[in-house]
Amino acid sequence: MNSTNAASLEFRNRRSRALGVFAKNWALFFLLFLVGVFSFTGRGFFSVNNFQNIIHLSTIFLLLSAAETYVIITGGIDLSVGFVMGLSSVLSAKVMQVIHASGAPQPTSILIGSLVGIGIGLVPGIISGLLIARFKVPPFIATLGMWGITNGITLRICQGFPVSFLPSKLTEIGNGFLIYIWPGKSFSFFHKPFGVQNAQIRELVRIFPYSLVFSLIVLFLLWHVLKNTKFGQHTYAIGGSMDASVRAGIDARRHLLMVYTLSSFLAGLAGVFNVFQTGIGNFTPFNAMYELFAIAGVVIGGASLMGGKGSILGSCVGVVLIRLLENGLSISGVEPFFRFIAVGLILIMAVVIDQLFPELF
Amino acid sequence: MVNTTDIKSTKRLLLFLGRRWALLFLLFEAILFSVIARGFFTVNVAQIIFFYGTSIFLLGTAETFVIITGGIDLSVGFVMGFASIVSAKLIVFLNNSGLSPGLSIVAGVLITFAIGLIPGYVNGTLVARLKVPPFIATFSMLAITHGTSELLIRGVPATNLPYLANAIGNGYFIYYVPGRVISLFVKPVIERGEYFLELIPNVVVFTFIFILIFAFILRWSKFGQHTYAVGGSVDAAVRAGINVRKHLVKTYMLSSFFATISGTIYVLQYVTGKADAGAPFLLDAIVAVVIGGASLYGGIGTVGGTLLGCLILSVLETGLRVMGVPTFDKYIAVGVILIFAVLIDQFFPELTHKGD
Repeated sequence: MNSTNAASLEFRNRRSRALGVFAKNWALFFLLFLVGVFSFTGRGFFSVNNFQNIIHLSTIFLLLSAAETYVIITGGIDLSVGFVMGLSSVLSAKVMQVIHASGAPQPTSILIGSLVGIGIGLVPGIISGLLIARFKVPPFIATLGMWGITNGITLRICQGFPVSFLPSKLTEIGNGFLIYIWPGKSFSFFHKPFGVQNAQIRELVRIFPYSLVFSLIVLFLLWHVLKNTKFGQHTYAIGGSMDASVRAGIDARRHLLMVYTLSSFLAGLAGVFNVFQTGIGNFTPFNAMYELFAIAGVVIGGASLMGGKGSILGSCVGVVLIRLLENGLSISGVEPFFRFIAVGLILIMAVVIDQLFPELF
Repeated sequence: MVNTTDIKSTKRLLLFLGRRWALLFLLFEAILFSVIARGFFTVNVAQIIFFYGTSIFLLGTAETFVIITGGIDLSVGFVMGFASIVSAKLIVFLNNSGLSPGLSIVAGVLITFAIGLIPGYVNGTLVARLKVPPFIATFSMLAITHGTSELLIRGVPATNLPYLANAIGNGYFIYYVPGRVISLFVKPVIERGEYFLELIPNVVVFTFIFILIFAFILRWSKFGQHTYAVGGSVDAAVRAGINVRKHLVKTYMLSSFFATISGTIYVLQYVTGKADAGAPFLLDAIVAVVIGGASLYGGIGTVGGTLLGCLILSVLETGLRVMGVPTFDKYIAVGVILIFAVLIDQFFPELTHKGD
């Protein structure tokens, strides 16, 4: 009697634990489920090329979401990331354009332009960080202010048009691959194998796009910092309770300043990377809503807007989920309008699951 | 010796001015543009400010109610677009199926008002019952309404509305031909070259009727009191016997309703329905509410303040346009004003308690 009870309890425990694991990682399971569905519905979805494509197109969103993850864990929000990205993209492209036009070698102009772009990314973050940490401006307002200011400055620099006539090496770097294989003939790193004609370029198998390598390195660093360092611990502590963390001796002001600067820096990095990918300096269009989609990715990844919760891995899953959904739906021939609806529904699902199983998180 | 009463009265004066900084800023802006922008200080430009400001006035009012409860509604812009498409389609459909233009416009607008409550109801239910953070719930609704409206029009703006829509949307309340005739709503027969005045666009009249009704409700009715109570403290509101869930659902429906009004007015003004009709106004509306003195933490805010905020933004935009400056600068100015607004609140907390 007793033993059967214990056994059934054991069984029930195991079942609820299995359910727990499932619900906790629902985004990941949903991602796998979508991969399965789209493999049937979309021809050419399940291929290395397409997956690399998805990652390639998610790079900037991964960076923005990673930035947003830090901020959201502290209980704040950063609405400026999308336009900071536009600012750094346009400014670095402009610098490259000017230096390139003056006849300097390509690497010089690319290097200086990138550094300027990454550097400018720090500025909005420092300002909004100071406003939030020192002057107690609500994050929503401070970053909304920076949203307007960076958007205005961006449009002023580029006058409403993308910045073009950039060094041609840019896109070679941004769209390059680590390994090129010419099946049965040869393979090479970094460059196309010698002797490949343009007509034969489709025979090449290209793996590990630089964008993947780049995102992996940056995301690994961010994951490590958040998970294993004091900085990460303090980030969670501030999000959990500001008062408690101040009493525990954390310099919350300085930490918040650093978090917002980091977020803005990552947005700047995304902007510069965008120049490498597209070969032009793109301003952020008004209704792109990059910041909102970045936040959506973070929330799907299990973070709470109240702070104290969230992870880089979760956010990555969230971002890839959104991108994969868009890619899969368009390959399956579904009209593009449905993907907005789908993103909305998944977002609601994410939070409702979070609400229904509070003990899981 | 410094006279203490002098200091006191100076302080009181500063406080008096500080409380009205938004109004003063608006005046400053108006005077500045009147001086530096030729042709700004005219009746026509004033009417243009209000005519093009209707969207942001309505969306700002929508946002005011939600922000007072401590929430936020990101969906208003695309609910507006959704409403513009639904009403345009409905009016065209009703007109084509044999109704007179007037009747089809009225019926189409009324049905749209009813449909426009749906996004708000869903938002409210998600926020109040399922405890989804407002930011997420309304962002999802933004995506869903955007997708639905794109689906309804499939990339082509909804057009072919009856001419009457244009006549209403771009007509004026008062037509005045000096010394001859004054007519309301209907444009009198005017001879070529004759001087006449058009005063107060119809859409501005509609907009302000709705806004004033709800400003009154917020200020004087139980519904308004409860809104402030919920924003002040949900716990306290529950203990005071307010049905907070129901109230929140109503608030989000109201916000959606105002976005819908804005969408239908957009259809009358521009005689098309567009999915992204309201997209540029979304954050402007929130900015206007904050400039108007509301707090994103809830409990503080007035429709009057929001209208001031909206006016600051639309005067700025119109002024820059009249000057011929690219409107890029508007964004910079908006960002600076926004931060400035909150810093004033931070440094002079006594100002935010508006004298009560």
